[in-house]
Amino acid sequence: MSLKSTLGGPGVACSAMRIRRLAAGEIAGEERARTEAHLAACARCQETERELDRERARLAADLPFDMLAAGVAERLARAPGAGTSRGIAERLGRVRGMRVLALALAAGVAFAVAVPAVLRVAHDRPSERTKGGAELSVWVRDGSGVRALAPGEPVPGRAALRVGLSPAGRRFAAVALVDADGAVILHAGAAEPGVLPGAFEWTGSGEEGTLVLVLDDTPIDAAALAHRLAHGGPDTAAPGDGADVLVRPLRRGAR
Amino acid sequence: MARFAVIPGGRAGASGPLPSTGEARGGTLEELYRCHAAAVYARCRYLLRDDEAARDATQDVFVKVLRGAEELAAATSPAALLLRMATNHCLNLMRASRAAWRGEIERIARERSVRGIEPDARELVRALLGVAPAEAQEIAVLYFVDELTQAEIATESGRSLPTVRKRLREFLAAARGALAEALPALVLPDPEELP
Repeated sequence: MSLKSTLGGPGVACSAMRIRRLAAGEIAGEERARTEAHLAACARCQETERELDRERARLAADLPFDMLAAGVAERLARAPGAGTSRGIAERLGRVRGMRVLALALAAGVAFAVAVPAVLRVAHDRPSERTKGGAELSVWVRDGSGVRALAPGEPVPGRAALRVGLSPAGRRFAAVALVDADGAVILHAGAAEPGVLPGAFEWTGSGEEGTLVLVLDDTPIDAAALAHRLAHGGPDTAAPGDGADVLVRPLRRGAR
Repeated sequence: MARFAVIPGGRAGASGPLPSTGEARGGTLEELYRCHAAAVYARCRYLLRDDEAARDATQDVFVKVLRGAEELAAATSPAALLLRMATNHCLNLMRASRAAWRGEIERIARERSVRGIEPDARELVRALLGVAPAEAQEIAVLYFVDELTQAEIATESGRSLPTVRKRLREFLAAARGALAEALPALVLPDPEELP
């Protein structure tokens, strides 16, 4: 028995792309009226419209905006010849004629693009702790959206945090959270510029804590780092003379 | 040990509307995300058949979009442009893993013979892309998946209408060859009858 397959394709007046363009607001005037009239009477195009709804739901579940923006920013920062983060933003702004930086800050792409510009003052002892421009940043999402946590600003209760870093050419990084309850390693591995994967909420009991970034050219022993931090505090973070350590104090806001 | 709670999905907090920048169409990442990311992600999932790979591919596509912002600004239809970029990006990835791709037709044939599952048209198109010449793959997606007419494809892709027709014929010829062995009962449309 043979089975004829049409493989799909456009119909006389049906087109998935036209429905997409309608949904994206790209069709206007008579064409819009004609497309809407067709859609109202066409079961095939109504199914396409439902499929677009399912696509949107899937996107929201699998790839929310924050995640996409962070991934985009990471890729931009990693690209060969990307230059400085500020340079990326300036170049994009010049080429595109768009308010990239403002957009980035509002929408979260600043995770990598604008982090250094915003957070150069984020750590409290730069002259003692940094070499070559390495940076540690903290991003917070609360009721007002995604933004950089300002130096000295309390961490809002139940806020989701993400850590960004600029490794300044170092190959390996470890990030730890230290507070009255001890120390925990948030990340240990390759030092990639941008925001570390995974948001977290600081749920410890103390009112003050510290984020510690260790950068080195050799792999960092996470267990040993946690042990040193738990027993000696941030001052003992460096595994040796060759490592860079950045410290970012955290203060808890109202829970 | 310091205590913290991991937030699944790597998001900085609960989802919800982000502040709008008020930029014009295609002007902001957030705007592009709101209007087109669902289609791009769906296209990547459709072609790559892997959620993680699709997430990565979607982010790659948006990087390309930002880098090619002049093309975006000049596009008649940003929706069509982004989908084409997603399609081409994924097709490139799929060509790199061609062996696995070719196995798709055998898988569909197996499901039909063993479980009686008739192949979904789009699933079949995806599988058949693997046997088609590279130049015909994008045209086949534009026609069979995006449902653009041949004239619209010519406009959208910058190719001549005869070239579009030729690519569709190439796709269907390659598809027939592949199906003759794996799914001999399946009859594909005559390219001369396609609208």
